[in-house]
Amino acid sequence: MSFLHPDFWIGVGVIAGIYGIFALGLQINVGFTGLLNFGQAGFMSIGAYTMGMLVVNGGWSLWAAMPVAIVAAIIAGLLVGLPSLRLRSDYFAIATIAFAEIVRYTFQNAAFAGGNQGIIGYDEEWRRFAAWLSDRFAALGLGDNSQLPLFFAVWVAFAVCLIALLVLQRSPWGRVLKAIREDEEAAAALGKNVLAYKLQSLGVAAALAAIAGFFLALNVTYLYPGEFDPTFTFFGYAVLILGGFASYGGIALGTILLWTLIEGLRFVDLPLSSGQLGSLRFVLVGLVLVLLSMLRPEGLLGRRAEMQQRR
Amino acid sequence: MTEAAPQEPILVIEDLHKNFGGVHAVAGASFVVERGSITALIGPNGAGKTTLFDLVTGFGAPDRGAVRFEGRDISGLPPHRIARLGLVRTFQLTRVFAAMTVLENMMLAGPRQPGEVLIRLMVSARSARHAEEANRERALALLGAFNLESKAADYAGTLSGGQRKLLELARALMVEPRLVLLDEPMAGVNRVLGQRLLDDVDQRRREDGTTFLFVEHDMDVVMTRADRVIVMAEGAVIAEGPPDAIRADQRVIDAYLGKARSR
Repeated sequence: MSFLHPDFWIGVGVIAGIYGIFALGLQINVGFTGLLNFGQAGFMSIGAYTMGMLVVNGGWSLWAAMPVAIVAAIIAGLLVGLPSLRLRSDYFAIATIAFAEIVRYTFQNAAFAGGNQGIIGYDEEWRRFAAWLSDRFAALGLGDNSQLPLFFAVWVAFAVCLIALLVLQRSPWGRVLKAIREDEEAAAALGKNVLAYKLQSLGVAAALAAIAGFFLALNVTYLYPGEFDPTFTFFGYAVLILGGFASYGGIALGTILLWTLIEGLRFVDLPLSSGQLGSLRFVLVGLVLVLLSMLRPEGLLGRRAEMQQRR
Repeated sequence: MTEAAPQEPILVIEDLHKNFGGVHAVAGASFVVERGSITALIGPNGAGKTTLFDLVTGFGAPDRGAVRFEGRDISGLPPHRIARLGLVRTFQLTRVFAAMTVLENMMLAGPRQPGEVLIRLMVSARSARHAEEANRERALALLGAFNLESKAADYAGTLSGGQRKLLELARALMVEPRLVLLDEPMAGVNRVLGQRLLDDVDQRRREDGTTFLFVEHDMDVVMTRADRVIVMAEGAVIAEGPPDAIRADQRVIDAYLGKARSR
C-alpha cells in the first residue's frame, strides 16, 4: 500500500480515534483532577469484555449491551477507587496498574471470558449497521472503504465525548475537580467532599475507557486479553503529553499526530529488516516526546500559563 | 437538635489530647469561644495551636476529648462536613488554588451549589446556571469588599503574599461560616494590608455576627483587636480572659511574654 492510499489512513484514523476517546478519560483524571490513573486499559477491557460476553454468552443485543458495559466499567472504577484513592497519589498510580493487570490475567484465564482464545461473534449487528452506513457513504460518493463507517462512528463518538467534557469542565463540578488538582486539603477545608469527586472523575474516565473498548472490539472483530496490556495505557499517556496538559482539544491533536507519526514512519525506506524498522519507529516517537517535553513541557495545546502557576 | 441558646458558646473544647509519636502536641486543652467574639489564641511556638486548629477542623482526629460546635460534637468528622456546618479555617501558609483565577477561587467556595452535583447538572441545567450567576455576584461583591476585584481574572498564583491572605479570608467567608479559624492571618503581610484584613474581620463580626478565632504572634494586634485571649503552653491552656487581664497574668508573663521580652 502506498503512503498516500486513503484506505491505510482511514485505518490509522480509527486507531487514533480509539486512543483519543481513551485519552480523554486520562485527561480528566491527570490534567483536571490530578489523579495518576494507570489502570485505564483495565477499565477498557472490562467495558469491551462485558459487552462481548453479554452479546455472545447472554444473547443480548449489542446496543443494549453497550450501556450496561459502560455501567460495569464505572462500577469497576468505583471499586478500585474507593480503597486506593485514600492513598497518596503515587500509591494510587501503583494500585491502578495492578488492577489493570489483575483484570487482564483474569480474562486470560477465565472460562467465561474465553481465555486466550478470546471472544468472537459479538459484532453482527454492528456489521449490518456498517453495511447500511457504507451504502449511504457510497451514495454520497465517499467510496466503499470497509473501515469508513467505523472511522465515522469513532470520530462522532469522540466529538460527543469531547463536547460533554468541555461543558462539564466549565461547570461548578469541573471547578471542584480543578481545585482538588491544585490543593485537595484546601478544597476539603471549603466543604468539598474530595473522595466523592475523585471517584466521579475516575468513573467518567472508566466510562470513556469502556467506549474506547467498544470501538477497539469492533475494529479487531474478536477480543483477546493481549489487546489490553499496559502499553495501551502508556500510549494513552503519550497522546496526553503530546496534546497538552489540561486540554481536551489537545487530545484530538495529540492522537492524530502520534498515530500519523507511528504509522507514517512505516514508509521510511531504510536498509533494515522489518523488525528493526518497527523498533526504530518507536525510538523516533520516543525521541519526539523527549524533545517536546524539553521544548514545550505543557504539550502542543496545553495551558502554559496554568502550568506555570503550579510551581 | 435543639436551637443553641444565645449565651451558649459557639465552640467548646473539652480536654483535648493529641500525641505524635510520644510528643504531646495537645495535652488536655479546654476552652470556649463565645458567639460573636473575636478571640485570639496565643502561645509560644510548639504550644500546640496549629495542631489544635487541625483537630477542631477535622484535619486530625483527637486521641481523647471533645470538640463541640454549636452544641454538636464534631470531633472525628471529616473536614468537608465540618466546613459545611459553618466552621471554616484558613492555613498558616496560604493555600490558594494557584492555577485558578481569583474569581474561581471565590466561586468554588460557595456553599450548596447545584452545579457541583453531576445529576442536577444534567436534569436541571437551568437552575444550576441561575445559582452559578448568584454565586458569581456574591463572589464579586466580596472581592470588592476586600479590594481584590481588579484581580478577579488573574491567576491566584500571581498574587502577593498579603493579597493571598486577603483572598483566603474572603474565600473562607464565601462558605457562609458562623465561626472562622484564622491561623496567623498577619504572617508575611505588610502592615497596611494586615490592618485592612483586621478591619474586615471586625466589620464581618459587626455586620453578620461571624465569630473569629485567630492565632497571632503580634501582641499589639492581639491586645487591640481581640475581645478575649486564650493562652496555650505545652499543649494546654494556661490562661484565658480579656486582654488586660492576660497582660497582667503572671503565668502568662512567665510562660510567654517574659520569654519574648528577655529575647
